[in-house]
Formats: sequence, C-alpha cells, structure tokens
Amino acid sequence: MMQSDQGSLEDRLRDIQSVTDAALSQLSDQEMLAELLERTRSILRADTAAVLLLDSPSGQLIATAAAGLEEEVRQGVRVPVGRGFAGRIAAERKPVILDHVDHTTVLNPILWAKGIRTLMGVPLIAGTRVIGVLHVGSLTPREFSTEDVELLQLAADKAASAVQSLTGLEDRIAAVALQRSLLPSALPLTGDAQLAARYVPGEGSVGGDWYDVFTLPSGELGVVMGDVTGSGLAAAVIMGRMRSALRAYALESSDPADVLARLDAKMQHFEPGALATVSYAVFSPALDRMRICLAGHYPPVIATPGQPGTLAEIPPGLLIGAAPDASRRVTTITVSPGMILCFYTDGLVERRRVPIEDRLALLCRAVRAVPPETACAAIMAELVGAEQPRDDIALVALRRKPTDREP
Amino acid sequence: MSAHDYLIEWRGPRAVVRMPAEIDVTNADQARAALLAATGQRPAVLIIDMSETTFCDSAGVAAIVVSYRQAAGTGTQFRLVTTKVERILQLTGIAELMPIDASLDAALAATEG
Repeated sequence: MMQSDQGSLEDRLRDIQSVTDAALSQLSDQEMLAELLERTRSILRADTAAVLLLDSPSGQLIATAAAGLEEEVRQGVRVPVGRGFAGRIAAERKPVILDHVDHTTVLNPILWAKGIRTLMGVPLIAGTRVIGVLHVGSLTPREFSTEDVELLQLAADKAASAVQSLTGLEDRIAAVALQRSLLPSALPLTGDAQLAARYVPGEGSVGGDWYDVFTLPSGELGVVMGDVTGSGLAAAVIMGRMRSALRAYALESSDPADVLARLDAKMQHFEPGALATVSYAVFSPALDRMRICLAGHYPPVIATPGQPGTLAEIPPGLLIGAAPDASRRVTTITVSPGMILCFYTDGLVERRRVPIEDRLALLCRAVRAVPPETACAAIMAELVGAEQPRDDIALVALRRKPTDREP
Repeated sequence: MSAHDYLIEWRGPRAVVRMPAEIDVTNADQARAALLAATGQRPAVLIIDMSETTFCDSAGVAAIVVSYRQAAGTGTQFRLVTTKVERILQLTGIAELMPIDASLDAALAATEG
C-alpha cells in the first residue's frame, strides 16, 4: 500500500478495467453485483465488501449483497439514513473513511464484532438520487488513498446502474404478473350478454388500468373500467386494492353511485395520495337497462345496429381521490337488442398533440353493433394499428344479443 | 416540446400560473411542481391559465387535481382559464371543482376585490 502512488500505472489501469469490464455487463444483474463486489474486494485488497440499498418508504439502508460479509445480508441488516457509517455516506452523498471502527462510529455490530479496523464507503447514485452505499473493510489497520476512493466510486457507479436495471426489471415483471392475475381470465357468460375484451400494456412501464366483469347475486351484471394515475408496480398495487374494494361494495349496494362513493371514501382514507378514474355500470338481468356512474372516466361509446357509435351522454363525476364528498349520480340507459357498449381507458383515445375530440370521433366511427370480438378487433385496428402504445389500453365491449331476425 | 417557464404572476393576493402549450406525461411533473409551488404560497385565488394550452391529457388533469387536493383547507379558490381543452376538463369532472373562464381577464374580473 505504501508504494501505491507509483505502484505502476499498469496496475491501476488493470484495476479500473476490472471494475468497468464490459464482460461484466453480460452477466445477469444479480450475478454482476456479486462479481463486482468480489473484484472490488480483490483489487482494493480489502477483506469485506458490501452493498446496502435504500428502501425509500422506511428511509433505511438494507444490506443486499456482500463478499466476505455475507452475514450482513443473511441477517437483513438495516441502517437508517443519517446514522452510523453507511447512513452518514447516504446522507452526505460523499465518500467516508473510518479508521476507528466501534459502536460509537458504526451502528451495525456485525462490522465491529468481525474485527474490521478500517472502513471506506461511497454512495451509489442514480441520476441525482442516492440509491444505496458500497463499502469495503479491512481487518488490519490501513490507509485508503485517494485513488482507492476513486476506484471504489467507479465500482459504485457500475453497481448503481446494475441495481437500477434490476429493480426496474423486477418491478415491471411484478407489475405485469399482478395485472395479469387481476384481469378476469374468462368473461362471465350470462344469457343475452356477449362480451369481449382487450388489454395491452404500455411501452416502458405497466400502468394501473383494469377492467372487471362480474355477475351479482341479483342476477345483474357489473362492468368496471378503471385507471389508476401513475405507472409501474405502485400503480398496479393500488389498482388491485381498488378492484377488490369495488367488488366488495358491489355486493353491498346495487347503486353504482353509492358503490363509487364508498370506494372514494375508502381510497381517500387508506390511500390518500392515489388518484383514479372509474366507470361502473350495472346491467339488469334481462340486459335491457344499464345504470352507470362515472368518476372522471370517459363515457362509453354506444352503437345500435346499422348506426354509427355515439359517446353516451352521461354527466361526468369527479375522479376518485380528488376531493371529499364528491357528488355521484347514476344515469340509466335503455339497452336495446343488438346494441353494443364499449368501455375503455384513456390509453385508447389519448395521443400526443391530437385533440381528444378528434380521437373520440374516430372511436365513435370505429364502433359498430357487431359481435364484440369483431368490434374489439376493429376498434384496436383503427385506433392503435401497428403503433406501440405508450400508455396501457383496456377495452371491454358488451353486446346485448340481437333478436333472432338480426345477425 | 420546448421548455416552459412557469412563473407565478401575482395580481394582488391572486396568483396566476401560465401553463404550456401542451401538457402530457412528458411534462406534467413540472406543471404539478409549479402548481404546488403556487398553492404553497397560499394565494387567495389561484388562476390556472391554460389559455395557450391546446393539448392536455390525463397526466395534466392529474397535476391540476393534485394541486387542488394539496390546497384543500387552505381557503385558496381555484379558477381555470381555457377554451381549447375544456372538453377533457369537463369529462374528468375538473369543471366541478373550479369555475372555468374563457379568458384571463374574465377570471380576474370574477375575482376582483
């Protein structure tokens, strides 16, 4: 270590190469993190290396990967930001070197119990956010040089990008799985109702769109279309809760406005930051009547045989989560044989720089009172075509069976 | 979409925040931050000036609602100026939360004194 200044330029270049190695990127993110820690420990001739990642909701750093210090991960060590060695690095966003390791400087007893004498740590930064801490430790007293700090920061930057892509991927996989599990796998078959649906996740991150179709004990049919603001796993989780709550209230009340008012009150109390649009319709058992309530959601498009679609005239209601005690109204619409009703989320109709009026008009032209599968296919072809949608798209088409004379 | 300067323009106790020509998921965060900065100063009236806004989607609507919710209980009255994006504000129920004026002058006249 003493001669590290002139140790040789070659060694140093080899060290840098070791942590920025392109081959590392070919490993999976998890393997890459483990390999990176191993190399970091080796080139810095340290005894331990560990990565702690920030858990934003709790404000704690959680031990996630380690080399020579596996117990830290296995015991689920947590350090609050701002406290102890790792907490200080995260709070100050700069490297910290400790040559005095005991309970006064380090919160995690594993570190001093193990006999670590010197610690050096740097923040993991993604963009402008601190997402964790990388630290190495030595069982013998030593001085870490400026070059050592720089090398560690280089490794931390590499780790930060691996972690980001890992969490992004995990969130996306979880959100897609959650979404899939919550969408009805088969639409209920009830007498005169013919149903079809489409769900297309948006590019990049999955959002909080959902639809639900269920029969009620009364023989009525409930049709839900909803969209939670935001995207990714967080929105998908809220969507799941809203879907369950709405189903529960649907059993308790046959009035769609009452159901949405209860849902709104529940969300404002338990999920105060959430915002969502919902359309909830209840069809009579004979399917000749629909009672519907909208909460900030686009109204359905309705078409009768031989006629173009029109946007249903339904008074708008406020989004769920916007303000307490929003007034909720029910609109009753007569459903004639052969009539089709299309429910959808904003992803189907909103496009950058295209006025919403134009897109809604396009949708109305695309909706025909034909079998729902045919209708869904035509709507998706007309409004989506070959483009990769940025936002989620959900679409449910319900047709009342035509009388025998009609096709 | 070019950057837009969100300035809070004060007309006595009334704050006016001018919104960009287009608001969608790519820039709604800035719109929300600007509106929250304005409500944080507890104006008597917050006028969201969308007179130059020709396009607004659900993300823009959410930005407005979040600022409205943030100001709940502070006494700030909201008004919104628009002619071109009124449809989405009607459809999403925003129009129930705050009066919509056709011009900034009309919004200012309605909140005189």
